[in-house]
Amino acid sequence: MSNKKDFYGRYVKPVVSHKVFTLVCLLVGLCIVFSVWASSVGNRFLAASTFKNILASIILSSFLTIGAGCLLISGNIDLSQSAVGAFGGMVLAAAISETGWGLPWYMGIVISLILCAGFGALNALLIDKFRFPAFIGTLAMSYMAQGLMRMFSAMGSDDGLAKNIAYQKPEVIKWLGTGQVGSIPSGVIIMLIFFIVYGVIIARTTFGKKVSLMGGNREAAKLAGINSRAITYILFINSAVMGGVAGVFNTSRLGQGQLLALQTNQFTGITAAILGGISFGGGAGGMGGAFVGLLILNTFQIGMNSVKMNPFWINVFTGILLLVALSIDFLTQVSSSRITARRRRTANA
Amino acid sequence: MALLGENGAGKSTLLKIMSGDQSADDGEMLLNGAPVHFGSPYAAISAGISVIYQERQLMSQMSVMENLFPGALPKNKLGLFNKHKLYTDALEIINKFGLPIDPAEKAGRLNVAHQQMIEIMKAYRRGADIIAFDEPTAPLTDAEITILFDIIRELRADGKVVIYVSHRLSEIFQVTDDIVVMKDGKLVATLKTNETDEGELIKAMVGRDIGDTYAGLNRNTQYGDVLLDVKNLRTPYVHDVSFQARRGEVIGLAGLVGAGRTEVARALFGADPVTDGEITFDGKVVKFKTPRDAINAGIALCPEDRKEQGLILGRTIKDNVVMPVVDKIANYKFMNNRRVNELADTAVEKYSIKTPSIDKIVGELSGGNQQKVILGRWTSEEIDTKLLILDEPTKGIDVGTKAEIYQMVCDFARQGIAVIFISSELTEVINVADRIIVMHNGHVTGQIDRADATEENVLAMAMLD
Repeated sequence: MSNKKDFYGRYVKPVVSHKVFTLVCLLVGLCIVFSVWASSVGNRFLAASTFKNILASIILSSFLTIGAGCLLISGNIDLSQSAVGAFGGMVLAAAISETGWGLPWYMGIVISLILCAGFGALNALLIDKFRFPAFIGTLAMSYMAQGLMRMFSAMGSDDGLAKNIAYQKPEVIKWLGTGQVGSIPSGVIIMLIFFIVYGVIIARTTFGKKVSLMGGNREAAKLAGINSRAITYILFINSAVMGGVAGVFNTSRLGQGQLLALQTNQFTGITAAILGGISFGGGAGGMGGAFVGLLILNTFQIGMNSVKMNPFWINVFTGILLLVALSIDFLTQVSSSRITARRRRTANA
Repeated sequence: MALLGENGAGKSTLLKIMSGDQSADDGEMLLNGAPVHFGSPYAAISAGISVIYQERQLMSQMSVMENLFPGALPKNKLGLFNKHKLYTDALEIINKFGLPIDPAEKAGRLNVAHQQMIEIMKAYRRGADIIAFDEPTAPLTDAEITILFDIIRELRADGKVVIYVSHRLSEIFQVTDDIVVMKDGKLVATLKTNETDEGELIKAMVGRDIGDTYAGLNRNTQYGDVLLDVKNLRTPYVHDVSFQARRGEVIGLAGLVGAGRTEVARALFGADPVTDGEITFDGKVVKFKTPRDAINAGIALCPEDRKEQGLILGRTIKDNVVMPVVDKIANYKFMNNRRVNELADTAVEKYSIKTPSIDKIVGELSGGNQQKVILGRWTSEEIDTKLLILDEPTKGIDVGTKAEIYQMVCDFARQGIAVIFISSELTEVINVADRIIVMHNGHVTGQIDRADATEENVLAMAMLD
């Protein structure tokens, strides 16, 4: 009997009480609901192609989620991420198109990501050195990134107007955007590798530990010798570069630098991270949760499509989903803090 | 009436029930002979009960006068609020308390002591019949305490009931008539103030006789060479501060609130920029840019505000203990969880931290145990602390744990660690430290050995202009 209890205590309980477990349950629940619902309107939801679609649909958002998630864990936020990403995508197009600089593809990617990193460093400078609230500093930066993106886009045009920049796709760029390994899109594989690497960094390394400690209480972490300045710079640069990677993927997929790139993804990174259990105030959560959060978000949207829901309603329901997920998070926190308070009272009594 | 008891005895909980902040599980409360039940703090205030908590509850972005009259702003004929009347009404109360506060100043810009006084004035303004003070003097200077006591005596003369919660026994003898002692959520003694003494109270509170706390300390008498030599240290808040500390010596930093003691500590620790002066530490002239530099050199700081600066309240004991050494104990940049557990276990054992597990969230521990977690952090075997700065280490901690902390300070000194002990409680600082440095307004105004120090002469230096 005692062995059984040990088994429960060692393997079952940690899994069940883990936040990600709740999220996975929610995901499975969504899949069941939509497969029943879809079959009632004569559609199939439970099919390999659906899941492939879901995975393929989250590639762009996944990089945004990784960047935004790490930053949120440290207690900061970056609103400029998607604008910087769009800028990065446009720089890539301008760099490799014949009407632009005509550079080789790798130079294009390097230049694009370095410029994005510059935006990240500026964000960190504003927030760390000049003490702007992250919300305001990065909001201002997102306008600047948008403006610069338009300037780049006007570079190749005859009339000086901003427009999408088209280019001849080199092989590698084509592979990034539309290639496949076996039957899996190359982007999906790259995304999974990124999630695993960042997941390990956040959960297992001392750097990840310091990020979440800093998110727990920045001042206390600093006074305990954690270099919060360096972490702030690294994470803001990382967030901007992740935005840039999303921009590069977008440009590769479409074969052009797009003026409206990543616009619908503006808040997906932050939304998915919060949905995935990363606390808005920082200090809690990890990449596994963020990944599942992203899956939930897109499963929900694709599921809504498969039951032929009016697309306008999908956004409304996405908002409701976020509220529900946050309330569950809030309620579990409240009930656990109530239990703690009660325990403390009884312990003191 | 005084309400007395160790931390966690249930005093604050009792006050919260009285003020309608928490509800009672059972039992009844009689007010003027009639049973009452408050569902909200507002109901309690309307019934004439005001509780002034340890945590200040001011609206820091609002002016002092608006804080004094929340929900009772005077209106003019147009129904707009009458700023002039508000100002004069507020000034009247402030003058009654004899404080140099401008009613139009934002409350958040006042110092901690004045913020506390605003809370007290607010309760006074409401004309409550019962006013409860939860540790009101913790952030106050002696001069302000005198004013507060005058107010309390006046309230008493007006026939109001004052409930006074404090750890400082001497204050209780000054202002109360009756004393109620609580322990472990139960009432253990009801005494007349003029028929009891400190010894009896401590015995009732801790359930044992702790004798003379200070005389029993096992102190260090062997000092090493000079470890820290501060010459003409200047920061925006500290002017021309010089002093030395030897290995194994306990230096007390005494002074009123705002004297610059914390600022000296922060400057030494690399947390605030140093504008001028020279710090020699362990034989080398040092310039710390960040706390990390100071930690690497062997300086540790237990900050003034345990909850805001010292600990990450939402994290576990082990996270809080290993914070400064995660990189040092790492396996190629990866967390070494086995070593983390060892260090946390050692700290819990060494300081007998009361907890079921090292995975317990620090915010759920009592104040004394939280302080021990910070001490455990800076004295783990992975860290070579040569100078330990303790800023108000006993704030809000019960008498029994305080005595434990005093002994720990002496033990650190016996291990050759230099300790800088900062405290606003004069008795404590002149009895624990070997040498006392007194500060006033960012300047050092005097140095005195323990043998020569009395509360009177230290206070005289602390108030010197």
